[in-house]
Amino acid sequence: MTALRFGRALVTALGGCLIAFALTGIQEAAASSPSGVKTAAISDAELAAAPVVAEAAGADLQNAVNEAKPGDTIVLPPGTYRGPIVIAKPVTLQAQREGEAVLLNEGGESALRIEADGVAIVGLHIRDEAYKERPSVLVAGDRARLEALRIETGADGIAARDANDGIVTRTVIDWAPDGVPMADKGNGIDLYNAHRWQIADNAIEDVHDGIYMESSDDAVVSGNRIEGSRYGVHCMYTAGTVIRDNEGNRNVTGAMVMTAREVEVTRNIFTKQNENVHSQGILLYDAHQSLFADNTVEGNRVGLYVELSTGNRLERNRVAYNFVGIQLIDASMNDVSGNRFQGNVADAQARGSQDNEIAGNYWDSFRGIDADGDGRSDLAYAINPFFQGLTKKRPAFQLFFQSPGMVFLEGLYQSERALWATDRSPLMAPPGSGANEERTAGTAATGAVGAALLACSCAIFYRMRRRRI
Amino acid sequence: MSEMIHVASREIKIGFRNPWAYSFMALFALFMFSLLLINAQGYVKGYSGSSGTMLNLALYLLPLMALMLGSFSLTGEKEEGNWELLSTYPLGTWPYLAGKYIGLAVVLLTIVAMGFGLSGAAGWLLGSGFDFSTYITLLLFSACLSMFFLSVAMLAGTLARNRWQALTIVVGIWFFLIIAWPSLLIAALGMLPYLWIKPAVIGMTSLNPAELTRLFTVVKLGGGSTLGPEYYKWMVWIESPWGTPVFAGAALLWIGAALTVAYLIWERRRGRG
Repeated sequence: MTALRFGRALVTALGGCLIAFALTGIQEAAASSPSGVKTAAISDAELAAAPVVAEAAGADLQNAVNEAKPGDTIVLPPGTYRGPIVIAKPVTLQAQREGEAVLLNEGGESALRIEADGVAIVGLHIRDEAYKERPSVLVAGDRARLEALRIETGADGIAARDANDGIVTRTVIDWAPDGVPMADKGNGIDLYNAHRWQIADNAIEDVHDGIYMESSDDAVVSGNRIEGSRYGVHCMYTAGTVIRDNEGNRNVTGAMVMTAREVEVTRNIFTKQNENVHSQGILLYDAHQSLFADNTVEGNRVGLYVELSTGNRLERNRVAYNFVGIQLIDASMNDVSGNRFQGNVADAQARGSQDNEIAGNYWDSFRGIDADGDGRSDLAYAINPFFQGLTKKRPAFQLFFQSPGMVFLEGLYQSERALWATDRSPLMAPPGSGANEERTAGTAATGAVGAALLACSCAIFYRMRRRRI
Repeated sequence: MSEMIHVASREIKIGFRNPWAYSFMALFALFMFSLLLINAQGYVKGYSGSSGTMLNLALYLLPLMALMLGSFSLTGEKEEGNWELLSTYPLGTWPYLAGKYIGLAVVLLTIVAMGFGLSGAAGWLLGSGFDFSTYITLLLFSACLSMFFLSVAMLAGTLARNRWQALTIVVGIWFFLIIAWPSLLIAALGMLPYLWIKPAVIGMTSLNPAELTRLFTVVKLGGGSTLGPEYYKWMVWIESPWGTPVFAGAALLWIGAALTVAYLIWERRRGRG
């Protein structure tokens, strides 16, 4: 309420100047921003009548939207506005100061429903905290631009349905209601039958899937940060998706590419996906003709998981400190090369995946022999399928993962070696110049305790030595 | 009580004069150190390749060490007639066995401390080394493992009449519990109906201290999800605040049970002898 009152006071006091301020603001924007951005394309004639400053007061934003003409920019001074809002004409809704115009929605409707093409929403803070079905922002029009929003949601943060060519940038999406199990949460950004979207530089936390794309082709997902969710980026029935430079941390799975073609997953960093028994860094299931390159997957349960996928290229990924580096299940015709597997508990597990082109990877648990000095081992690295086969038939034996007896037994099992997934020419040294890992501080405490233990045991040995009488 | 302390302090004295203790110590320290060198550029944190290797090394070496030192100490006394001599004193079987256990535990823990101390300090100096909590977890794991197998050793030493017999028994136990364990379980339980396998695996695992300690440590190092969906509840439970106290309680129970069986057998033989 105080925010409302503050808003009302502001309007009464500054009424006229505010409109002027807003006007100059928009003119500046028109002068400086690149063409193609909708706000910039306001003609002088439009400007004279155009920008409507919503009356922050009763915050009847819906009225202001209804009264605006197509192409208008509605500038929202700081204050709280009541949802739900429906936008059925191409207007721009812009917070005067980023994040200080709050759209509060408490009902079961979407806080913001965009039905027209060419709508832009900039800098709005949307509080839509009720746990419900309908998404906080529903986009049903083409070429929507959602920029610098902050959304606290109890459903899907942003959902696009049958709407193409949208943009979501610099937006922060958080899950609001407490005590909702992960399976019942909504997605951060959810595209369905929405093509060519650009999703960049957003931060999404504690939702179901960070960015979920279904039957939505050619999306570009870049520079996003997704944490504490189920899947970071999730493609279902998509083609031509680009997932680049994203960061995922503590999700169940970083990037999940399912039933998709020609996807590009490059330069992403997925770490600490290890809490869940089904978690992975990057998962490919029924994925085809896709590229997975230069990613870093670190500290996950499984770094790269490839199942029933064909014709993919997995190159130059850094797969480190995972429990299992790469897992190949009934995958074929994939090209796995130049990857670096380091510090994983088990470098690789494979089953039914003999037709892959695996060559020139670095496996730190493998000791090769390089007689001709070309940097590649003359001995092949074959991935033992015994454990995978065993646990598929009887999952209870998963308990023996890397136990000494299991390692021993795997060593004994050598039948049909020709059918194993095999790296023909493993690298002798890790690829790339950054051979050394960055050292983490904090070993000093270990050193001190170690020295103390050493001193104590030596003291005991000295005291207990046989003495001459 | 004072009898037990006497036996324990005598055992410590003998234990540190035993060349076996020193050769085992050298072996353990050497292996710890060489693992550190192999991993020279890395940094050991959580459940990773290097901590997994270290875990397996400890699983190979420490049980064998504990079994041999423990059982030889008991059978040695029998062979050399010390036990007959001690029998003439008013010394109960419990204080004797418990004192032996405590004395040997001190020797074993000193060996473990030496190995870990060396690799911890050297790792720090060489610039690689351990994350602190990982180091402590591995240290506690090794200590736990030694204590478990020392109680098994007391049982083996009770059963065997002389050192040779003890050697045969302990190597058998070691091979059975450490190396052949998965093979035997897979072979034996593979014939059971599908639904019985998991309970049977759990039941057998609770009888094998090496597996118990290993699984507990893997979960504590953050690797619980490797056990798969079948054991999800274990992972949650071990990571809960109750996990450690209950494991400690179970360990004490296990060790107590092994020592009680040893006591009963020893008493029976004493009565007959």
